[in-house]
Amino acid sequence: MTSGATARPHNRMSRGISGRIKVTPRGFGGPFVRFGIPVAALFVALLLGALILLAAGDNPVDAYRTMFDASLSGPTAWARTLALATPLILTGLAAAVAFQMRVYNIGAEGQLYIGAIAASGVGLALPEATPMVLMLGAMLIVGAMAGALWAGLAAVPKALFDADEIITTLMLNFVALSLMNYLIFGSQTFWRDPQRVVPGGKRLPESAIMPAISGRMHIGILVAVASAVIIWWLLARTSWGFTVRTIGDSKPAARYAGMSVKKQILIVLALSGALAGIAGVSEVSGVTKGLEPRSLATDIGFTGIIVAVVARSNALGVVPVSVFLAAIATSGSRLQSIGIQVEVVLLLQGLIFLTVTAGEYFVTNKVSLAPRMHAAVPADDPVPTSREPSTASIEAQASEPDALVPEQVAT
Amino acid sequence: MNASTRLEVRDLTKSFYGVPAIDSVDFDLVGGEIHGLLGENGAGKSTLCSVLSGLYRPDSGSVTLNGEPVQFRSPQDAARRGIGMVYQHFRLVDSFTVAQNMVLGLSKDQRPGSFRQIGARVHDLAEEYGLHVDPSASIWQLSVGEQQRVEILKQLFRGAEILILDEPTAVLAPQEADHLFDAVSTMVEKGHAVVLVSHKMAETIDYTDRITVLSRGRVAGRAVTAETSASEIAAMMFEEAGAAKRAPVASGTAVGEPALVLSDVRVRGDNGLVAVDDASLTVHRGQVVGVAGVAGNGQRELQEAIAGLRPLDRGKVRVCGRDCTSLNPKGRSRAGLAYVPEDRLGTGLAPGLTLEHNMVLKSHDRAPHSRWGLLSRSAISETTAKLENAFDVRGNRSGMQVSLMSGGNLQKAILARELTAEHEVLLAAAPTRGLDIAAAEAVRTHIVNERDAGRAVLLFSEDLDEVIHMSDVVLVMYEGRIVGSFGRDEVDIEEIGLLMTGSATSSETIAAPEVEPVAAR
Repeated sequence: MTSGATARPHNRMSRGISGRIKVTPRGFGGPFVRFGIPVAALFVALLLGALILLAAGDNPVDAYRTMFDASLSGPTAWARTLALATPLILTGLAAAVAFQMRVYNIGAEGQLYIGAIAASGVGLALPEATPMVLMLGAMLIVGAMAGALWAGLAAVPKALFDADEIITTLMLNFVALSLMNYLIFGSQTFWRDPQRVVPGGKRLPESAIMPAISGRMHIGILVAVASAVIIWWLLARTSWGFTVRTIGDSKPAARYAGMSVKKQILIVLALSGALAGIAGVSEVSGVTKGLEPRSLATDIGFTGIIVAVVARSNALGVVPVSVFLAAIATSGSRLQSIGIQVEVVLLLQGLIFLTVTAGEYFVTNKVSLAPRMHAAVPADDPVPTSREPSTASIEAQASEPDALVPEQVAT
Repeated sequence: MNASTRLEVRDLTKSFYGVPAIDSVDFDLVGGEIHGLLGENGAGKSTLCSVLSGLYRPDSGSVTLNGEPVQFRSPQDAARRGIGMVYQHFRLVDSFTVAQNMVLGLSKDQRPGSFRQIGARVHDLAEEYGLHVDPSASIWQLSVGEQQRVEILKQLFRGAEILILDEPTAVLAPQEADHLFDAVSTMVEKGHAVVLVSHKMAETIDYTDRITVLSRGRVAGRAVTAETSASEIAAMMFEEAGAAKRAPVASGTAVGEPALVLSDVRVRGDNGLVAVDDASLTVHRGQVVGVAGVAGNGQRELQEAIAGLRPLDRGKVRVCGRDCTSLNPKGRSRAGLAYVPEDRLGTGLAPGLTLEHNMVLKSHDRAPHSRWGLLSRSAISETTAKLENAFDVRGNRSGMQVSLMSGGNLQKAILARELTAEHEVLLAAAPTRGLDIAAAEAVRTHIVNERDAGRAVLLFSEDLDEVIHMSDVVLVMYEGRIVGSFGRDEVDIEEIGLLMTGSATSSETIAAPEVEPVAAR
């Protein structure tokens, strides 16, 4: 029954190396596939990592215990990990919501800066006596709007002239970074603290600082998780989300159904920018407590793209993926403290991340050894395509109106 | 014509999934001739060319090249032996120069020196054959006509003695086509042999020396061009369509008022050129109007213009008396137009989403499927189950992406969605293409039921047999114009064939929508 799909580029069946490895898209997998494979991939990563640690002369058991202790064992460790995960969830959502519609917002980094600039501006401008709820509310709203407007600078040309949003959003990151640096390092502005010798931002008043929950973890985590749930709900349960998912899957089908693709590009990019802006609010209010370019420009926006890709653009998936990434990051510094070289630490972090990410491929694709039929092809025949058209030949035919035969029988 | 046989094909058969695309085909090509290869869509022309150019290997039969039996292992293998194919869709790298494209894919020792030398050689070839093009230009800078010249030069550059041109004029303006045939004439004068795959009668008659006609994978006829006529060739091409034993479906009894009216419609294609011009037609209630034509003669553009997916340059579209010209697809659907598009997966259905999602694609934002912007999943499931039952859509599993279902079930799903929505006009494009016999029959039954329920049906199909079988009025499209109209009793396969290939104009072209096409009763 899958044969109907093989002639479609959308659901392509590709022949693997020398035609012996067969890769077929799964469509959907059971719980074993969806959860079992990532866990198995984690174990493979730890096993490979152990080899590296042994080769470097370190004790893998000690190293792994330290990693676990530092990131996931006990309230202090969890607070540290979740504090780091907070902005990642938000920028991950920013990327995910755009990716759902196959619009590529690479500009969460810059939208985060702009959100931070706007929010800290509000925090410094409003009277110190403003009640915290109003103050933080105003900062969140203004920060989100600022992020949305910044994304809008890329969204409008995209909707009007189909300007490539990958380029425009990426370039706007540098503009935003320069703007933020200028406000603190390049001039005497409202944001800069004139008292400090080393240039830095004015400290926000207490009412503009997100209260801590435990250790470094602040209420931004609640904002982030709530955002994830809301975005998931919007996409999965509303008629608007239906439209976005349709456009993401097939623009021609969306147009056919009478949906306005341009309008949704504007809406989705603005929403994406707003989420990145909120990440900026959360960082400036909960972590740096003033506009501190050095502490804000830590590639949180770019990491959000990775989060979204690993979470397959699922808003709820963004949360565990962010926590996982944050855990790897927090455990890194502790590993160095027990004397493991920084290079080995980075290698280990990369290995775990890479393996778990690569495992995703097996969640969405079924990989098996090709059945025996290929063995029947004579050994001196390197191209076993004469009896069975390969993907390439099917596509070649599909492009020629005369040869519809494979499609005709593939019902 | 000299008698040196270049290529001799005997008893060639090639099947896909057990269905023969070409069946026991014999074909000869001699040096210095232009050999026309004709046939309807799906007649096997491309398959035969693909075998000759090494892309496919035949299941059985023999190919003899210059007296020597050959079996090509790959297109490169065929190219080394002097067979070059120019595809309709060019195989060029846009960002490379002409000279770079010449040697693309050649190994180092096959490459004759520096790009300057290559450029000089291209220049010489261009002079020799009259295929002028700047060797240092990048492909993206060139017009379609120039790109085609590059493709031909590439084959000549690689030493092709036999050139296969797959519908070369489909992408060209008339004067470019003349230019192309000048170059082709020069080639055959110098002893090359050319296979010209074509749908167009005029160029076949004007330029070929001999012709071979394929029909449903078999050779339906051969002729020396000078000794035959357009009507004889058309008879060979479409003979079988008329010979089919299926009786036409009983014609509807009552033909009602006009439900879909196009007047003087002009539409541009993706490339900005006029794809449909002066198209006027009327479909009455209780009537199936079928549009016959070779693919690529503006049918897709016309369908999209009717559905609201393509803006009109000029003209009007009226559905049930209402002017829909400025309405978007949704507006037209509300005005009473149901549309089964040619492209099932990708346009008619969002391939990566579920059947449930696709069944409410157009009605997701209305009750009962959503209230205040919130989707009702139970209502959506209910609708899906109802449609699955009513239209016998099988193979769905919960959560499965719809593209994993078979073509027949996909088409039934689209029909289910479109025909249960309120509508008065059905626009169906290639509704049975690629379906097995049972599924195709089911689809045809639905279309006939529509007509019998007093709705208007406009049917586009490349299967001439189907158009004739289903339609009360047959229209013929050629190069963006409606060139002929036949009532059920006046259907003349040969005449339709001639019109489809552009070799005749109908005695009764539809002039205006007011002039009612003669409807059979």
